[in-house]
Amino acid sequence: MKKGHIILIILIAVAIGAIVGSISDSSTYANFDEAFSNQDREFHVVGTLNRDKPTKYKPEENADLFRFFMLDNNGVEREVFLQKAKPQDFERSEQIVLIGKAKNDVFVAREILMKCPSKYDDGSPEQTTSNASL
Amino acid sequence: MEINYVGEHLWIGEIGNLFIILSFVASLFATISFFQATRQKDDSWEKLGILGFRVHSFAALTIIGLLFVMLANNYFEYHWVWSHSSSTMPMRYLLSAFWEGQEGSFLLWTFWHVVIGNILIYTAKNWRRSVMTVVSSVQLFLASMILGVFIIDFKLGSNPFTQLLRDHPDFANLPMFANPNYLESLDGRGLNPLLQNYWMTIHPPITFLGYSLTIVPFSYAIAALWQKDYQGWFKPGLPWAYFGVAVFGTGIIMGGAWAYEALSFGGFWAWDPVENASLVPWLTLVGGAHLMMIFKNKGSSLLAAFVLIILSFILVLYSTFLTRSGVLGETSVHAFTDLGMSGQLLIYLLFYLFLAIGLIAWRYKDMPKSKSEDELWSREFWMFVGALILMIASFQIAFTTSIPVINKVFGTNMAPPADPVDHYNSWQLPFAVLTLIVMGFAIFLKYKQNQFVPFFKRIVGPLIAALIITIGVGAALKMQNPYYLMMLFASTFTVAGNLNYISSILNGRIKKAGASISHVGFGILMLGALISMSSNQIISSNTSGVDVTQLGEDFKNNENILLLEGDTLPMGKYFVTYKGREKEGIYVRFKVEYLSKSEAGYKPEFLLKPFVQLNDRMGNVPEPDTKHFLKEDVYTHITYATLETPNQEKEGYKDLKTEEMGVGDTAYASNAILVLDNIFRGTGGKDLQLAESDIAITARIRVFDFNTKEHFLQPTFVLKDSSFVMPVEAEKEDLGLKVSFDKINTETGKISLKIQESNASKRDFVIMKAVVFPYINLLWIGAILTVIGILFSVYTRIKKG
Repeated sequence: MKKGHIILIILIAVAIGAIVGSISDSSTYANFDEAFSNQDREFHVVGTLNRDKPTKYKPEENADLFRFFMLDNNGVEREVFLQKAKPQDFERSEQIVLIGKAKNDVFVAREILMKCPSKYDDGSPEQTTSNASL
Repeated sequence: MEINYVGEHLWIGEIGNLFIILSFVASLFATISFFQATRQKDDSWEKLGILGFRVHSFAALTIIGLLFVMLANNYFEYHWVWSHSSSTMPMRYLLSAFWEGQEGSFLLWTFWHVVIGNILIYTAKNWRRSVMTVVSSVQLFLASMILGVFIIDFKLGSNPFTQLLRDHPDFANLPMFANPNYLESLDGRGLNPLLQNYWMTIHPPITFLGYSLTIVPFSYAIAALWQKDYQGWFKPGLPWAYFGVAVFGTGIIMGGAWAYEALSFGGFWAWDPVENASLVPWLTLVGGAHLMMIFKNKGSSLLAAFVLIILSFILVLYSTFLTRSGVLGETSVHAFTDLGMSGQLLIYLLFYLFLAIGLIAWRYKDMPKSKSEDELWSREFWMFVGALILMIASFQIAFTTSIPVINKVFGTNMAPPADPVDHYNSWQLPFAVLTLIVMGFAIFLKYKQNQFVPFFKRIVGPLIAALIITIGVGAALKMQNPYYLMMLFASTFTVAGNLNYISSILNGRIKKAGASISHVGFGILMLGALISMSSNQIISSNTSGVDVTQLGEDFKNNENILLLEGDTLPMGKYFVTYKGREKEGIYVRFKVEYLSKSEAGYKPEFLLKPFVQLNDRMGNVPEPDTKHFLKEDVYTHITYATLETPNQEKEGYKDLKTEEMGVGDTAYASNAILVLDNIFRGTGGKDLQLAESDIAITARIRVFDFNTKEHFLQPTFVLKDSSFVMPVEAEKEDLGLKVSFDKINTETGKISLKIQESNASKRDFVIMKAVVFPYINLLWIGAILTVIGILFSVYTRIKKG
């Protein structure tokens, strides 16, 4: 067998390993129902902040704990404990992606991604030209 | 009703549109002419092609010039100007505003291709016709991206000369357009404050030049396949490929520096999809450039060189597609939203992909193949292996980054790895170790055959040196992770090997040392990355000594810390004080002072001013501040702060809360923690002039302030004549804290405590994170050295050829 063939085989093996590795590392999108019926497994949950309920952040107790209620895409509401400082402008978020696990009756999130009003959104000019529309 | 609007500058848009069409048509003309010139080997077609490309260049430069005029003069009747500028925008952000939007970035890309294309017209000689066919065709596609015409329902490109009033139906009905003089009162939306940053002025042009440079080796490769000329393409292509490696690499590392200095990543590399999308084509370009070198010196690895060089260009298109199509939406913080052009980008990508696959398949039989197999101990063999490792490494990054795309195509529902940094690090670290080791020894091998023993003797020195350094540095940094130690060894081996090569083999002949210098630089870069990331220290962990794990181990307070104005907390070897805030325009700066403590007391060391930018459009954006020392950086970031003006009222007390507590329970006030020690009969030493029938109960409460000092408060509860309740409050003035009994629950033995705080104690505070990054300067020094090394070898190669 030629060296070229050996290299090719190793190459394919590592490439397959990389695919399998990436897939097995990949997390799963879920809603709250799935996450709470599989406690202690990590999920990505997409949803929106429930603005009707108060958020709680008491840095004097714990700067790395922020609590709020989120509605997932099916409208199921759960309390979330985020293990981070309260993100700046949290209330403005349009969409939230949580990465974390369900523990008993709260969702413990390790990481959060927020979608805020986009940078390239075409807002109405009225917002910036209030003089003009008077 | 027709309105005669006043003060509009419609001429400029009319000229602009004319030149947009001209640029499109001229690039089409150039493509066809160069194509015919190549096929018919005809000089007159070639002249037409050159003319076409010149006209295209002129048109593109005119468009850019017109847009700058519009931007500088605030012609807000144009949607593009209105979106990216405002009358108050400082001129220094003109460039940032230009490439903020997609139209501007495509024009920047076009601009660099124009520059490169015109250089190629002069230098490519007998490759001119075929190479310029490819370049012109890419320009045709780029020109279509700003065309902005509708073909039935499909919008082709996004035109920067559209008018707010006439071309944007959403805006046209706004009441302000009833005023013929609407321009007098119209102001632009303004440049996103997030981008009002000097990084935004320098980072995009360099990154785009890097992107653009991949077109040259790509065009040469396509031309070589097309013309069946496999021997001539790498010689002119090689300096371009390496120049691309240097510029593209600079762009990526600048992105890292930007992230580290101005974004809140908490490091220089976060494996964010947008970063990955640039890293992948760079890795394949590095691999491809090395393979071209093998082919030049040994005549083998041609196919692999074609594949990697072509992939680099296609991956640049893919990277643009990823970041601009909105497909990354849920996975990246800074992906762009779709402007409706992702379909168009995808078509171009697939066009070049299938063109390249088709050409390679068509020419596969013709390609010269090396008759003999590569020797095991030869430079070409190990360079080949190195290039393949880079290819696999880039494949792994590309695969994981593409998970959202895979979901779209196959309808799956995979989420990206929950801990991306860990995922990528654990894959990329072994690849980096292997690459670095190959880089350390392959340089000692000559092309073709080598004797093993003399070769081995040469690398023994660097091996031993690397081993000693690894043991020494590893012990000093208390590095225990075996992978990190391997990485430490591999990067020091690369540095030692290449330094040794420069001094012993080249005898310091600097002319030939370009490659070795860049390899030394790369080794240092990786060393800096390893040490700063593996040994960084979050010094803002909870130092109050109070257990805040009552919610369980998951909520250890271990990254962010509360710092009240005026308080001093120990952090690492420093003591840190928050000295209040300053507001300046849209910036709120928080003054965080680092002190050292000696017997003489505290001594200020340095003051950092991390800030929060108040940004209506993007949300408020925090920006860290970093103190740079030679050996380490102290990074300070505000993770949370109340942005309203802190309460000015200083008088009086207000109720904080009433808490039911048993012995041993904890309650929290804004600046203190209260623990109920015990409850006892009696007044606790207070003279309350009690009658005998009165019953007094006192609570002993231990109070910790955030300087971890201990205080005691003893409120008493008096039951007069078994019916009349008289609570006696306890006050701690310096803490601004009052505690009194509210109720006693005789069943549970718990008491209700009313906690009050003085208004003055609602002091301003910040939640901050502080990290020490050791030896991060190695990273920047290594990067600079790498780029200098490559540029130097490009220079000597051009001079020689």
